[in-house]
Amino acid sequence: MSREWKIKAVLVIITAAVMAIGGFQLYSHRHYMTPIIAGPGVTKATKLSEFFKGLKGTKADTNVFFLEGKEEGGKILIIANTHSNEPAAILTALVFLENAVVDKGTLIIIPQFNNSGGRNTKPGDGYPLYFEIPTEWGNKKFRMGNRNASPLDQWPDPDVYIHYPDRQLLSYLDVRNTNRTWPGRPNGPLMEQVTYGAMQIMRQEKVDIAIDIHGAETMFPVTNCIVAPEKAMRIATMTSLTVKAREGFDNHVEPSPQGFRGLSHREIGDYSDALPFLLEAPTPFLDQPTGPKSVDFLLDGKDPFLVKLSKKRKLFVPYDETGWPMDKRVGQHCSVILEIIRQYSKKFPNKQLKIRNIPRYAEVVKNGVGHYFHNPNETDKKDIYYN
Amino acid sequence: MNIKNLKKWLGSFIFIGGLLFIFFSPGMAGTEIPKTKLPVLITSAGQSPDVMTINIVAEEAEIKYDYCDVPTAELLGAGVGLADKEPGPGFHVEINSDLDKFPKGTPYKTIIFAIGASLKGMGASGLTVESEISRLKELIDYCKKNNIFIIAAHVGGTSKRGAPGSDNERMIDTVVPFSDYIIVTKDSDNDGRFSKIAEEKGIPLTQIDYALDLVDIFKQIFQ
Repeated sequence: MSREWKIKAVLVIITAAVMAIGGFQLYSHRHYMTPIIAGPGVTKATKLSEFFKGLKGTKADTNVFFLEGKEEGGKILIIANTHSNEPAAILTALVFLENAVVDKGTLIIIPQFNNSGGRNTKPGDGYPLYFEIPTEWGNKKFRMGNRNASPLDQWPDPDVYIHYPDRQLLSYLDVRNTNRTWPGRPNGPLMEQVTYGAMQIMRQEKVDIAIDIHGAETMFPVTNCIVAPEKAMRIATMTSLTVKAREGFDNHVEPSPQGFRGLSHREIGDYSDALPFLLEAPTPFLDQPTGPKSVDFLLDGKDPFLVKLSKKRKLFVPYDETGWPMDKRVGQHCSVILEIIRQYSKKFPNKQLKIRNIPRYAEVVKNGVGHYFHNPNETDKKDIYYN
Repeated sequence: MNIKNLKKWLGSFIFIGGLLFIFFSPGMAGTEIPKTKLPVLITSAGQSPDVMTINIVAEEAEIKYDYCDVPTAELLGAGVGLADKEPGPGFHVEINSDLDKFPKGTPYKTIIFAIGASLKGMGASGLTVESEISRLKELIDYCKKNNIFIIAAHVGGTSKRGAPGSDNERMIDTVVPFSDYIIVTKDSDNDGRFSKIAEEKGIPLTQIDYALDLVDIFKQIFQ
């Protein structure tokens, strides 16, 4: 073999090795299952495909849990990981799923709404594939997903995504973004089918409140807030004023724009009787001018470049060397959800919801979110589901 | 301990307790809260969304109010019901007054200005900073001539403040010195501007920690 062929052979072997190692990592990530535990309040576990059969057998199908109280009351749907790179959402949903006890009304939880996005990553941004939350019984490991569904599950992308039914022109990427494909349709692209499935839950179950949990950049004005349309504005405002006065954290209200289509806080309100709320917690990891996208940064939200930008008043939230830790984000979400429920129950006493055993902001910050996760090794197998 | 000493001790205890209550009573600081009467119109000075906060807080306090974001002096003079004006683009009206107690046309006794400038809000109503100020001046003139009690409320904090001469400060200049009562959140008054105007003009002022504290204030004002 000549020298030239030897070099070519070595290069081919190196390329094949890189592809094999990288491919194996991505394959493992896509198929990794996080055990999630149905807590004492769970009365029914089902799949999104129960509400729209077209999702059955696809990677877009996902777990749906019902926590039904003994007394009838209002119904609330919590949607998490619409964007799987905003993981405070799934952590909050699991705090509710593993701990909530519902005395009155019904709580429905979809912990991994964009299941395909949860099995996708963003290698160009150097995303970690996993992150771990410390608990009293060891670390709980989660997949770190991406904003959009995987092209392995929905392909090809159009040049421009034409929103259904308003025909607004959106970015081509938004065809895989489950916060642009609302209200969806049964014969649309897969992600429109996902949002359609959720709309079917809301219509069939007559859901009163729909909460979509997110995270947003500190450099983006719509951060640290509750986004609500006109019909949910009163409850959102009272929630914002109350958490500020009683629990000491800011969470302002942003109106849902009528002219920007496809978002949960707009379409759920327009196409169902539910009052929608989209919660945004500051997520420094999502900002662009930062250091490496490490797991530590994802969890503690500390970044020296953002500190400098904060000093130049370029951020939309107060930010210093203490960052914006995950516990704070999850704590905010827990308190805001509980307060929305309280305000709704006050306004509509015939549709009250009574949910207990959920920590508020200060408790989550003090104990850490991992404190609220149960050990799968000490849990009855029938109560363990895989996400 | 004999009875005389006990009385002395109790007296001191009540006095110190009273002082502590005054200094540390939660939420509010400032002068005695004045009383005023319904019907009330809530409006904006500067068209920021803070007026929605005031509306929602009034609703929470179970105050039945009318609302118009851009009333003119003529519309204010039409009294409760605001002459049945229909809402339209850039013009919002809500009639929530108790029409049994205050039939349409009953003159307003109180007006609440939610102060805060928003170019977006003014633009949506076809206003400029100048035309908004001129509208506010006409409204205030009307209120003064017709004994309508003016409440100036600023709950937007530092984000609704600015350098001297900025839009927010001009709204404050237009309304606050002519008001009969000022309510501000502590962060809105962190430079003491509202306190200074209140002192100079002899206007009662209440400083609150949070906008939510307005619920109690509104309940007391309209007792």
